[in-house]
Amino acid sequence: MIASFIPILAIDVIGSVFMVVIAFLCLYKARLLREMDPDNAVFLYLLWISTGFTVFALSRSFGHILRQFLILTSTAETWHAISSYSGSINTVSFMLVGLITLFFNQSWNINEKILSGRKKLEETHIKLVDLNQTLEHKVVERTEKLTSSEHKARRIFEQSLDTILVTDEKFNISEINPAGVTLTGYKKEDMLANQMGLKNFLAQGSEWKRIKHLLETREYILNDETDFLRPDYSQIRVLITGGVDYGAFGCGKTFHFIIKDINDKRQMEQQIAQADKLAALGELSAGVAHEINNPLGIILGYTQLMLKEDSEFEEDLKTIEKHVKNCKTVVSDLLSFSRKGTLEKSLVNVAIIIDGVVKFLANHTDFRNVKIQLKRLKKDRLMIYGNEQELSQVIINLMINACHAVNKKGTIQVAIKKTGDNQIFITVKDNGTGIRKKHFSRIFDPFFTTKPVGQGTGLGLSVGYGIIRRHGGDITARNRKEKGAAFTISLPLALTKDNIKEDRSNT
Amino acid sequence: MVFAGWILLPLDAYATQLHANSEGIVTHQIGHLFFLFSMVVLIFTITGKGLDKQKGWRLIQYSAFFFILWNLDALTAHFFDNQIQAVKIENISLTQIKVIANNGSTVLAWFYYVLKLDHLLCVPAMFFLYKGLSSLVNEQRQVIKKKDTP
Repeated sequence: MIASFIPILAIDVIGSVFMVVIAFLCLYKARLLREMDPDNAVFLYLLWISTGFTVFALSRSFGHILRQFLILTSTAETWHAISSYSGSINTVSFMLVGLITLFFNQSWNINEKILSGRKKLEETHIKLVDLNQTLEHKVVERTEKLTSSEHKARRIFEQSLDTILVTDEKFNISEINPAGVTLTGYKKEDMLANQMGLKNFLAQGSEWKRIKHLLETREYILNDETDFLRPDYSQIRVLITGGVDYGAFGCGKTFHFIIKDINDKRQMEQQIAQADKLAALGELSAGVAHEINNPLGIILGYTQLMLKEDSEFEEDLKTIEKHVKNCKTVVSDLLSFSRKGTLEKSLVNVAIIIDGVVKFLANHTDFRNVKIQLKRLKKDRLMIYGNEQELSQVIINLMINACHAVNKKGTIQVAIKKTGDNQIFITVKDNGTGIRKKHFSRIFDPFFTTKPVGQGTGLGLSVGYGIIRRHGGDITARNRKEKGAAFTISLPLALTKDNIKEDRSNT
Repeated sequence: MVFAGWILLPLDAYATQLHANSEGIVTHQIGHLFFLFSMVVLIFTITGKGLDKQKGWRLIQYSAFFFILWNLDALTAHFFDNQIQAVKIENISLTQIKVIANNGSTVLAWFYYVLKLDHLLCVPAMFFLYKGLSSLVNEQRQVIKKKDTP
């Protein structure tokens, strides 16, 4: 059969060229895919297969074109010589393509695993981001709470009126609040620099041994009463509560103490006890005085009757009369102390009373070498509702005591002060020997005296106490920081027009 | 003695096997069969994974189908001319050829002539592969675009 060679030649040559061109285009597209997603195993597979097809197309097309060329140029022998090589390369190339193709399933599975892994990774990442955000939120929330809590704790620590003290395990101070600085009287820097501890504040060394023993055995102390000694040698009564804290988050063992200043409370308790005692003594004295007063009156009456007639016992009777009168005075004083005496009250000016007393005593022989200083308010119209005579007696008693305290040679200060709550304070100070500590609880007791026997009845202060209490006031005694003692009388101002007006203008 | 003689007087070993001339065409035909088989596997794998729903992979399936046809074409042509040598071509001139069927069958001669136009199968196969890859590139671009769009 004879046929045209043109269709075979044309299709062979043009087809070969197309094969190469399209194969390279495939390779280009496969590379694009690969660049778009380098981690995609299927795209990698497509790149491999496109490469295989390109090799196949090149080898095949080269062989076909060369064959046609050699046949047309009548050098078919040459083609026969190289045809086996061309055919072999062609065989290898499409076997390579076939081999690569068979890996599609594996490539797909690998890609699926990669995608699945990536998806899980993304999901985990989202969860992680979410968790991270939640964690951040919680951290912010907790930090805010912690800051707020720390702020509250710090405020309690800083603002507390009681001392809050923290020590390390060796009882050296590591923290102390401002109230503690005020109470102890030491500077905070000094306390920390000198490694001071609780024991440095205690007035008695033996107290520390006891407290330390309690802390070491019981690990706490509760409302333990002791005295603190301040740098100025003044003592303060305090109540200590403390315990051990073994710490958390790697903190060391610490001791925490709360220290209350009970000095004022204790003084008040002592004053109340004193007042109760004096009230009881007053009741007793009143009873005794009443029982003695009548027999004394009878004795004095009969004695005076007998003195009206001449008698060989006149001197003896006079002695009896004198001592009975003395007894009557004592009984009268006792009645004054026990509030049983008569009392006529009226509006009196305290300033005028004090002026009068000072003038009267300034001329007294005992006060000849005593310097009396009177500190008065400029507008002294200090009206109170009371008995002028009794109040004068109280001031006189105080000044006489002061005179004896300075041994009739020194300075006595009398000061009048008014406070906003309608109280006036009269203070009598001296620069004498002061009051001994052990006498403080007894100075207002009837018949208590430090003077030699026969020189004082011991009723001056107790009578004064009774008078002032009856006037709705109070009397207290203290030793001065400088030298000597100070007695302070507080009395309520009467509600006169002047006082109210002055009070309003002050307000 | 025998052992010594065997050692001292060696004969030709013929260690390398000799290959017949027909080995080349058989290997080539096996290659075509392997290529064909891999294309069949590819078509079924794409269908099995449900990828034929995507245009790109469907076009690659078409490509594989045309490569199967091309392999069948080549296998048949090689069978007639190289394997059983039932057909041969002689160039009469630059424009004419003579197809000679050994059994004198004109049908076989024309059938062989048509088989020689195999580029009509392999070029479309490559073209479908190109189109398939182009389609996958476009799909991938859209995926990236979607990802980038907030």
